Amino acid sequence: MKATLTRRHLLKLLTAAGLGAPFATRVVADEADASIQSAPSPENIVVPVSPRDRYPAVLSRGRVIQPGRPLAVMHETDVLVVGGGPAGFAAAVAAARAGSKTALIERYGYLGGLWTGGLVLLVYPTHATEKGVRTKVVRGVGDELLERIARYPDAATNHAAGKPDPTTDPEITKLVMDQMVREADVTMIFHCWVADVVMDGDAVRGVVIESKAGRQAILAKVVVDASGDGDVFAAGGAEHEQRLHAVGLVHRLGNADRADLDALRAAGFKNLGEIEPQPSVRWINLRGPSTDGLDIAELSRLEIEHRRSIWQRMERIRQSSGGDKVFLLQTAPQIGVRITRLLAATRQLTEAEARSGVRPADTIAVGGTYGPGADNPGFAIPYGALVPKKLDNLIAAGRCIGVDTPMVEDMRLIATCLLTGHAAGVAAALAVQEGCRPRDVDILRLRQILLHQGAFLG
Amino acid sequence: MAATKLRNVRSRLRRRLVRWSAFAAAVALGWPGSSEGPPECAAVVLPALSPFVALGSALSTRSVGILALLALPLFLLAWSMRCGFCRFACPVGLLQDTLTSLRSVRRRHWIGAPAIGPCLLIATATGAVLGHPLFLWLDPLALFAAWLNAWRTPIAWIAVAGGLGLPALLIVELFWPGLWCARICPLGAGQRMLWQGHRLVVRLIRGRTHYAGPETSCGADSSGTVLLARRSRRHFLAAGAGVVGAAVCRGAYGPSTPLRPPGAASEEQFGGLCVRCGNCARVCPSRIIHPDVAGRWSAWMAPRLDFTHDYCREDCHRCNAVCPSGAIARLSLAEKSRRVIGLARLDPDTCLMALGRECNACVRVCPYKAIAVDNTLDPFSPRPRVDLDRCNGCGACESVCPTRPERAMRVRPVDRETGDQAETQGAFFGAFWFEG
Repeated sequence: MKATLTRRHLLKLLTAAGLGAPFATRVVADEADASIQSAPSPENIVVPVSPRDRYPAVLSRGRVIQPGRPLAVMHETDVLVVGGGPAGFAAAVAAARAGSKTALIERYGYLGGLWTGGLVLLVYPTHATEKGVRTKVVRGVGDELLERIARYPDAATNHAAGKPDPTTDPEITKLVMDQMVREADVTMIFHCWVADVVMDGDAVRGVVIESKAGRQAILAKVVVDASGDGDVFAAGGAEHEQRLHAVGLVHRLGNADRADLDALRAAGFKNLGEIEPQPSVRWINLRGPSTDGLDIAELSRLEIEHRRSIWQRMERIRQSSGGDKVFLLQTAPQIGVRITRLLAATRQLTEAEARSGVRPADTIAVGGTYGPGADNPGFAIPYGALVPKKLDNLIAAGRCIGVDTPMVEDMRLIATCLLTGHAAGVAAALAVQEGCRPRDVDILRLRQILLHQGAFLG
Repeated sequence: MAATKLRNVRSRLRRRLVRWSAFAAAVALGWPGSSEGPPECAAVVLPALSPFVALGSALSTRSVGILALLALPLFLLAWSMRCGFCRFACPVGLLQDTLTSLRSVRRRHWIGAPAIGPCLLIATATGAVLGHPLFLWLDPLALFAAWLNAWRTPIAWIAVAGGLGLPALLIVELFWPGLWCARICPLGAGQRMLWQGHRLVVRLIRGRTHYAGPETSCGADSSGTVLLARRSRRHFLAAGAGVVGAAVCRGAYGPSTPLRPPGAASEEQFGGLCVRCGNCARVCPSRIIHPDVAGRWSAWMAPRLDFTHDYCREDCHRCNAVCPSGAIARLSLAEKSRRVIGLARLDPDTCLMALGRECNACVRVCPYKAIAVDNTLDPFSPRPRVDLDRCNGCGACESVCPTRPERAMRVRPVDRETGDQAETQGAFFGAFWFEG
């Protein structure tokens, strides 16, 4: 894996050097792809089994004991971003662009998290609407991503100057995220889970990952926890709380353009989902019951239960007049966990403060207006909401940052995650460059870099 | 002669001083503007000073509260001094007289008109016995307070509309100078009746059994047994009209009653008991209380709640402290939060959550944690479910519900006749309410 990455990077650098600035990004990406796919690859050949130290857990007096063992360090980096959802993606790209050596790890095989894997395709809220006037708040990395997605044919609805909240095609979203991560020179590592943290006193020095290759360590100067569930800060012992929220599953309706939606609605199928860029497809939200999103037994039960109820409903739709042509295109690869852990941050963002419309000096992002028809100037997110109370070398991003109960609904949205991710990435890079703890980062400098990267700070 | 003239001038000056002082005091008591002024609950004093309001309130509610004490000074004044209130204290009368004194022509075309003030008073009293005082809203102090309350900031046309009673009286004064005070004002009529009662008592005490009618009073009155007999018949008819009117008004409300402030009297009483002084609307911090300009006739301009922009705050019971007539009960905060204004009901056809959208605005805003998400009917159309035991109709959910033009979550009035909302709703899937 290491060899592949090196070759890819080398090739990319050479190609980039050979070509001029115009069209560079697209061409670089395409060249790299072509080279990997055209390399001769013999199949089904025998290779030596890699010598892997075996330290199995043992059953001792009815208890399962994991013996102490040294771990191989798979990778060392300045900034390690955990989780490849909207927040992790933005954090990785921003940190790398701010000049830090950055790695991004993701448990599945694609970027975008619940946006692409959860099929929650509506990027919301990209604007703050005050007195009817819309201000774009998703700027910088997130905006660049949306712009580049929209350049593809049939890739985004509702994406034009002044138009808020596009819906994007999940495959093109994955594709463009891949491109941007690669262009930013982020080391991308898919298919691994964070199993633990590497601690040094109160400071995080890296994470332990689990994958098909066994248990390995990745060392980093600063870790951005964009896992959504706060897996890293929880493992590191940071103070946090846990919430129950609805856990659902999105599915997609195929041949939606050949169905009589009004007749189906009249037949009692009120929820026929939302439009997608492809007119033949709609995505349908299944909210699901409120439960513990960290409990795998519960998640397993819901996966099965949700898929069953989706199929049953699909059969009923197909039997109804106007619905005979539609089919179940896909259920989301990822179950829709809305919120689990929330960080106890150095500066907890409360609803009262958020709704006051004040933009404090430590504002690192401005969230958009939540709720259809709502009219307010959005809300400022202070840097302290990303920083744990005691744990060092860790910055949280995405839905798990330090907010109170009502603000959860704003924080867990894709657009807001792009914003907190962007800020967390820049802050991590700055902490590395200044050689300080994330909590001691110079906020003026942080805001300067964010503004330089195009972010909107009110 | 000169001395008498001087004395007259002096007494006129003194009277003018007293009247303007009383006027200033009334304005100071009722003015809604400044924060340095008297506390908001002082607003209750001005309309509550009226014995007419106190009488209507006591008869209708069949209870005498501590507020009735406020009416005692004017009662005693009217009892002990002929037209004491009109001549010295009434701010409306002062405005009327000042307006007339500015005009050169002071002809009284109406001099032969019958005095309908006593009839209004009697009809109100008999109506009040049936729970619906008919003309309580004609109380001059309430009209004056309503006019002051119209100037609460920020000034809104609907608030100003609630204070138009006093300007209307002034227009009447322009065309028929003195008509209101002498012939219509029910408070003035009550005062004159009190004075007559006083005279009667005095005469009885002095052993004079023959009653020759009252002496002249401030409104040009005449005397004579024939007149007295005619008046008695008129008063008797007024009493009957009060009973009939109250019965009609009590029946004249349909199924769609508007939402009233928390602790409001029952709908069949409310329109009569409310004096339209605007105190409740003035002190409401959420500005959700408005005069019901489109309301039905028997409760026209009475306060109604509008949850379009805000809701009845869980930490507030100010309207409960300022009602002079008992149309809104004096409730503590705990009592108020248990008092049901209405009940939130969902229209699942427009509810965004039921359409699969990520909206839970009503769930997150409910101050009483009365709304939960129900997945059981159809997991693809989950619905906010209202716990009727917890909901008091504060309207927080309605104020944030994003659907337009109609809110999917709306507070509907409880059927006051049965008084049992759970029963009417129980027929529809437990807590759910389906439209149509």
